[in-house]
Amino acid sequence: MIVMDESDISFFKDGLRLDGRRADQLRPVKIEVGVLARADGSCYIEMGGNKVIAAVYGPREVHPRHLQEATRAIVRYRYNMASFSVEDRKRPGPDRRSQELSKVSREALEPVILTNFFPRSVIDVFIEVLQADAGTRTAGINAAAVALADAGIPMKSMISSCAAGKVADTIVLDPMKEEDNFGQADLPIAMTPSGDITLLQMDGDLTRDEFKKAVEMAMLGAKNIYELQRAALVKKYSQMAEQPAREDVIVRD
Amino acid sequence: MDRKVVVPGDLLSEEAKRSGEGTYVKNGSVYSLLYGLANFRDKINVIPLAGKYMPAPGDNVIGVVKDITFSNWIVDINSPYDGLLHISEFPVRIESEEMSKYLRIGSSIMTRVADVDPTMKVELTLNDKKLGPIKTGQVIEISHTRVPRLIGKGGSMISMLKKEANCSIFVGQNGRIWIHGSAEDMDLALRTITLIEKEAHTNGLTDRIVDFLKKEKGARS
Amino acid sequence: MSVTSVISEIKKDFIYNLLLKGERIDGRAFDEYREISIQRDVIRKAEGSALVKIGSSQVLVGIKMQPGEPFPDTPNKGVIITNAELVPLASPSFEPGPPNEVGIELARVVDRGVRESKAVDLEALCIVPGKQVWIIFIDVHILDDCGNLIDAASLGAIAALLSTKVPAARFGLGEDYVLPIRDIPIATTAIEFNDVLMFDPGVDEEAIANTRLTIISTAQGNICGSQKSGAGMLKPEQIYRIIDIACEKAKEIREKFLEA
Repeated sequence: MIVMDESDISFFKDGLRLDGRRADQLRPVKIEVGVLARADGSCYIEMGGNKVIAAVYGPREVHPRHLQEATRAIVRYRYNMASFSVEDRKRPGPDRRSQELSKVSREALEPVILTNFFPRSVIDVFIEVLQADAGTRTAGINAAAVALADAGIPMKSMISSCAAGKVADTIVLDPMKEEDNFGQADLPIAMTPSGDITLLQMDGDLTRDEFKKAVEMAMLGAKNIYELQRAALVKKYSQMAEQPAREDVIVRD
Repeated sequence: MDRKVVVPGDLLSEEAKRSGEGTYVKNGSVYSLLYGLANFRDKINVIPLAGKYMPAPGDNVIGVVKDITFSNWIVDINSPYDGLLHISEFPVRIESEEMSKYLRIGSSIMTRVADVDPTMKVELTLNDKKLGPIKTGQVIEISHTRVPRLIGKGGSMISMLKKEANCSIFVGQNGRIWIHGSAEDMDLALRTITLIEKEAHTNGLTDRIVDFLKKEKGARS
Repeated sequence: MSVTSVISEIKKDFIYNLLLKGERIDGRAFDEYREISIQRDVIRKAEGSALVKIGSSQVLVGIKMQPGEPFPDTPNKGVIITNAELVPLASPSFEPGPPNEVGIELARVVDRGVRESKAVDLEALCIVPGKQVWIIFIDVHILDDCGNLIDAASLGAIAALLSTKVPAARFGLGEDYVLPIRDIPIATTAIEFNDVLMFDPGVDEEAIANTRLTIISTAQGNICGSQKSGAGMLKPEQIYRIIDIACEKAKEIREKFLEA
């Protein structure tokens, strides 16, 4: 097996990145609303090579009972990767990384959910990564926000998530796999459309100026994604309303 | 009357006083809380497509007994919240030991929500002639969001259905509906309710239901 | 009493009343399958994959392969490991955690179909006898439980295997090649309720069923696996009737979806 390090890769060629994008371009995004029958709300999202599905159940009774809170709903978020979602098969079950991701993702969505409408209940958010390609946590949060809306959960606003990175001393939007693995920094954020930040993580090496640039770039990306989330939700509703009147509907004869 | 599909956080108006259901006010402006259809009248209301049934006082509901304590039947009402039917709300005076004799686990009841407290403790009652255990007929479940359409403006749709299908019908706000009549009549009523549920969001539904009932009854004779 | 079983009381009566009239809730015949769709190669990072829908049930199966040590008692044979994740996303009654007896049973029945039909030539997966063989991971990921997950998962497993490429290049073992598959096992499941047999049960039908029987048949029409599940009882005549219909249905499904 060949092992690469960052000096082997030239991240830019003629001003374009390895996958042909400019520094400030998002990978292609596809969002489908309401893809599962059993879940109360659901969303399937593709961001680059990421394939992620989110489901929301709730509000529903909390089990075990001692977890319930008298005045509001609790929110649970479970990020999980399918064994076949990554290059080297992953053993099923949570690991420390997925537990940390679950926590910060929950904290990215909680600020906008009106949990006080539903005392003594739980709103469960489940994320399954079916194929991973750098940026699964941001894809998960984006799908989760749409699934929450689809489930009819009252929220002050949507939440959108995007990451910025640094490669070859340049700040880039929505790092792909090689940029994530061999780049110099990674900075995912989540925010409301009006720019209130609900998730902020970073690893790598950035000057304070670069940090600011990365945050600004990620926020622009998130705003872009918000428009796509909104469009997907509106489209689904219009598709439903357009169902033509049918003459003979009942099948049993 | 203006209508628009909205998502949570959409700005609906800059006049705070127009805030209706499914909206909130911030800095004097009205925003949507929900993904659904915004109705722009004097008040702006947002009607969601999805969501759980939230019991409110006065709601008729159909419940299923899931547990019995010393003085309460615990009743599943198809909601994140169970209903509590206290022994004193039973129409006949009975002793605690007799509770399972009258309503056992699995019994269905036509009941009404008497009260809901701030922690969503839901109290039910059977103290009304129209309420009681279900012994005959059939119960169907539809999405609770379709119930208003099934009832119709001023009860017009449900009255028509009761008359044309010649059935007694008890509509639970929680989406459970009880029907009683001859086998043929119940079958017609069930099929009509299923059709209404499927097409609740479309226009011209009332006329189509009238036509459907006419055709089905004509086919019978 | 859980919410699911309470709902069954109302739905149980509803389904029962329909059965008396010879009908199922969705108008199907008793031996009729819901609409089936199979999409292959949906996860390109996996060596093989398939997304199967039966009605609204959805199951995603991924195949991963890597070289590894053989089991000591079969030093020249490749290894197949089948796992099923009944993730909480797929149903209000699935809980997070390692597979419970339902998930384990599902994985083992899927495995039985692949293994006993000898669809994969395990000896051909030997790289260095006694030292290195190919390990095939069949990972079943349930996405939406609307009933009859066993049939959907089995179908997903064989569909994914049929489109699997052995990743030899990545491990310096030559060029990638298509995994040779020698049979197409198909699982078909029926439930029994009040002496009525119903194929491809939906989720409400499963909840009221007394018992369930899965038959896995090969391309030749022989049976390579079976599993009775649930605490009810079946008479031999019922079993034989199920087998006859099961093999017919399996043949239809095989011909329609999986034969080139």
